[in-house]
Amino acid sequence: MPIDSAEVVVIGGGVSGLSSAYFLAKAGKDVVVVEKGTVGSEASGRNGGMISERVDEPLLVPMAVGSLKIWATLDDELGYPTEFTQHGRLQVAIREEQVGEVFSERDGALAHGISIEMPDPSEMRDMIPGISEETLVGVFFPNGGHANPQRTVQAFAWAFQDMEGRLYQNTAVTGMKVVGGRVSSVETSAGAIETEMVVSAAGPQTGLMAEMAGVHVPVAPARVEMLATAPLDPLFKIALVGNGLYGRQAARGNLLFGGGPHEWIDVGLTTDPSKPNTPLIRNIARRLAELLPGAADVPVIRSWAGVVEQSPDYLPIIDILDWPSNYVVVTASAHGFGLAPATGKAVSDLVLHGESSIDISGLGLGRFADVGPDWREERGWIPAPERP
Amino acid sequence: MESKPLVVVGAGVAGTAAAIEAAKAGVQVTLIDENPIGMSMMGLDIPQFFGQRIMGALRNKAVMLERVVAANDALAEAEGAGVDVRLGTYVWGAFRNTETSRALDGPQLGLADDEHSWVISYDRLIVAAGSRDLGMSFAGWNMAGAMGANGAHLLMSRYQALTSRRMVVMGSGNLGLNTARMAQDRGVEVAAVVDVSSSVRGDEALMTGLQRGGAKLYTSHTVKEAAGKADGIESVVLVEIDDDNEPVAGSEKVIAADTVCLAIGLAPNVELLSLLDCDLTFKSELGGYAPEHDDWMRTSVDTVFVAGDAAGFHDGMVLDPEIARNQGRLAGIAAAESLGAIDNAEALARRSDIRSSAVAATPAEVHTGWKKWLRSLVNAGGLGIFACPCEEVTRADLLDLRPPRYLEWESEQMSRRNLRTLLEDDPVNPNQVKRLTRVGTGHCQGRRCREQVSLLLAEESSADIAEIPLMTYRAPVRPLPLKVMWPHEEKEQMRRDWVKWFTP
Ligand SMILES: Cc1cc2nc3c(=O)[nH]c(=O)nc-3n(C[C@H](O)[C@H](O)[C@H](O)COP(=O)(O)OP(=O)(O)OC[C@H]3O[C@@H](n4cnc5c(N)ncnc54)[C@H](O)[C@@H]3O)c2cc1C
Repeated sequence: MPIDSAEVVVIGGGVSGLSSAYFLAKAGKDVVVVEKGTVGSEASGRNGGMISERVDEPLLVPMAVGSLKIWATLDDELGYPTEFTQHGRLQVAIREEQVGEVFSERDGALAHGISIEMPDPSEMRDMIPGISEETLVGVFFPNGGHANPQRTVQAFAWAFQDMEGRLYQNTAVTGMKVVGGRVSSVETSAGAIETEMVVSAAGPQTGLMAEMAGVHVPVAPARVEMLATAPLDPLFKIALVGNGLYGRQAARGNLLFGGGPHEWIDVGLTTDPSKPNTPLIRNIARRLAELLPGAADVPVIRSWAGVVEQSPDYLPIIDILDWPSNYVVVTASAHGFGLAPATGKAVSDLVLHGESSIDISGLGLGRFADVGPDWREERGWIPAPERP
Repeated sequence: MESKPLVVVGAGVAGTAAAIEAAKAGVQVTLIDENPIGMSMMGLDIPQFFGQRIMGALRNKAVMLERVVAANDALAEAEGAGVDVRLGTYVWGAFRNTETSRALDGPQLGLADDEHSWVISYDRLIVAAGSRDLGMSFAGWNMAGAMGANGAHLLMSRYQALTSRRMVVMGSGNLGLNTARMAQDRGVEVAAVVDVSSSVRGDEALMTGLQRGGAKLYTSHTVKEAAGKADGIESVVLVEIDDDNEPVAGSEKVIAADTVCLAIGLAPNVELLSLLDCDLTFKSELGGYAPEHDDWMRTSVDTVFVAGDAAGFHDGMVLDPEIARNQGRLAGIAAAESLGAIDNAEALARRSDIRSSAVAATPAEVHTGWKKWLRSLVNAGGLGIFACPCEEVTRADLLDLRPPRYLEWESEQMSRRNLRTLLEDDPVNPNQVKRLTRVGTGHCQGRRCREQVSLLLAEESSADIAEIPLMTYRAPVRPLPLKVMWPHEEKEQMRRDWVKWFTP
């Protein structure tokens, strides 16, 4: 006996799934969200909170710009705070070898007609009190910003519930029933849920989920680390990138920064991947002290890790499949927090109209038609399984 | 990177006993203890609730080092046995490979002093990191002079630096009575011992002795508030409680005191065990989440052993240090055996004088008592009191799931949400509640508020306290300035391989 039935079942209570569910419910759809943990317990509640125009990835610019438009009024729309602030994003170089990156961001912005400024070092010292005296160049994006990840996820979840959406937490998707080229029901640890449309927004589990529907969606999960300092007096509201780090000063005053090498991993379908930190947090601390010598005395009070997934070209996949024909794949490929409002809108458009009002061209699954099942091993990201 | 066969964390009774046993068995042992702790860390009430009644002499590290050594005879014995003793060294991190973290050469510990940090690797680890003070809030508990039993104990014994003159002790178990006795012995006047229970919970004779020394006993009483000025607490208001833990009108007693010592209970210090992902199980009789271990004190992670309060604390251990010592000896012998220094027959011979009853007592659950304390404190003091003093989150903020005040957020939708509505959707997840209210996210990372928060969550969701998951610990478990975390030994390779974020 099914425990529920809905027009749309969204798998995954991360920011992509909940944003999709919210826009679908807002459009009048009867929607269920199934999440194996609690909302935001994976990457969506653990990320840097950075929101940018993504001029580094030409294909993402339309989504990123569209997303910022939604972010601007999101708190009022949802009725809950996300801590979104839009005081710009500054990318700096404090060493010669970092200068190139700044210029390529500048060139990307110019190519896409995104407005930027090129502050001189003394202006940058005013923008970011305590920044390195060695700051060489910087590019400032007035429209960049940041928000609080967990609060954002919770805001989407609550707003979704306020529109009669049903949220099943601590419920894992364990299977899928495909009949006549369509998913007819989603099997969960609590029982089956019948549906007309499936939206898979299962993050690192995207590939495993698709496999159950008989489709190959290539994604590679990876573990990344961040740290938090004790609160400081308010210094800057700008989202800051530089010296190999990205981060922000939270509304409370803590510095939250991440960066550095990632580790490719495997995940299970229904389990929470372990998310330990490593001594890498010391290297992050060093880079933060180099970037903000004025904050070198502030204590680090916490670190954490999160798991993101990457597609073979490191870009999101947002697509409604040909087979099963009622299956939407959403994987944010590690850019997903800032993009989430646009992602949700695009998914809701795909479900309702079969096409998206926000330009997502180039993000279809078809581009990976030639990618084989062992692509991660072939790239040396994970060890090849031992063959007898 | 330095590599050690056996590292023992914590040079208390259990840790020194473990180190000595292992050294006697021929193992090269490194014994690490963070005392003497830096003044700034102490000022933040980390790792214990020190309460700011601290002599200035503490600023002199050399003097403190002497005192810490002088206060602990077992340290000399350990050094005599060949143990490498490292004092004033924080263990702030513990790392090992898991399925999702495979790059380490072997298990590692993050260490630091007040100036710099470093990482060492080990073959075996014994965690004898003791227990943690239990926080329960009342009006005024964030003033100087409110402290925990462990904080008071450390300041009196190892540091001889407690400046309190007149103390009120909350809790009449052996923990409270023993703390009061130590205070009396050192010339601190004990004005009162208070308990919500209707009779003394600890050793009667000990209580009688305290009374002879001038202490008054207040059973069926709770603390209503502590009042004072800028330099701390000056008086404490007690109030009698009825069978429903409600304050009895007109029964207030104002007691002059500069110190309130919270000695209601202690919780095992499992922070490093949690970082290492050792199995932790809720055991009320051992003070909350405590490590699973076998009768050789080996945890679920086979390179890690535990001993003493860190393995689980109960009130009987206060008056009987043999329990912790025996656990330490077992862990030391077992670690030596697992390193191949001695064989199993030899290990059995070395433990033959340790009776199992001397290791595992049969203590009683403690959370009913803790709940009663919390109920009475809420009834007498209200909900407007900080549950989390670091982040200034009141009990009411927690129950209302209120976004922090600095967000200045009001909405009709938000006003319909609270902890109870959250709990209706979902079994309790303290990590989620923490991220929404900021409870436990400050300097002390929930050291002083964990138990109170868990008790409130359990009460609000009508769940058993055992069902409330552990609020996670993460490195660094001691707050370390960025410049101290700084890896001076970093290799050029790290900079070459560094990426800000994934780059195709
Ligand atoms: C440390 C870190 C920093 C980051 N910084 C930024 C940043 O600054 N800006 C930015 O834009 N992005 C950033 N990201 C990336 C961003 O967090 C992710 O792209 C985004 O959160 C993805 O959201 P999602 O909903 O697609 O996936 P997730 O958050 O991973 O959500 C997927 C959900 O699906 C659930 N699920 C999986 N399997 C099942 C199953 N079988 N049954 C039921 N549920 C299941 C999972 O439990 C999970 O909650 C960062 C990520 C990390 C980890």
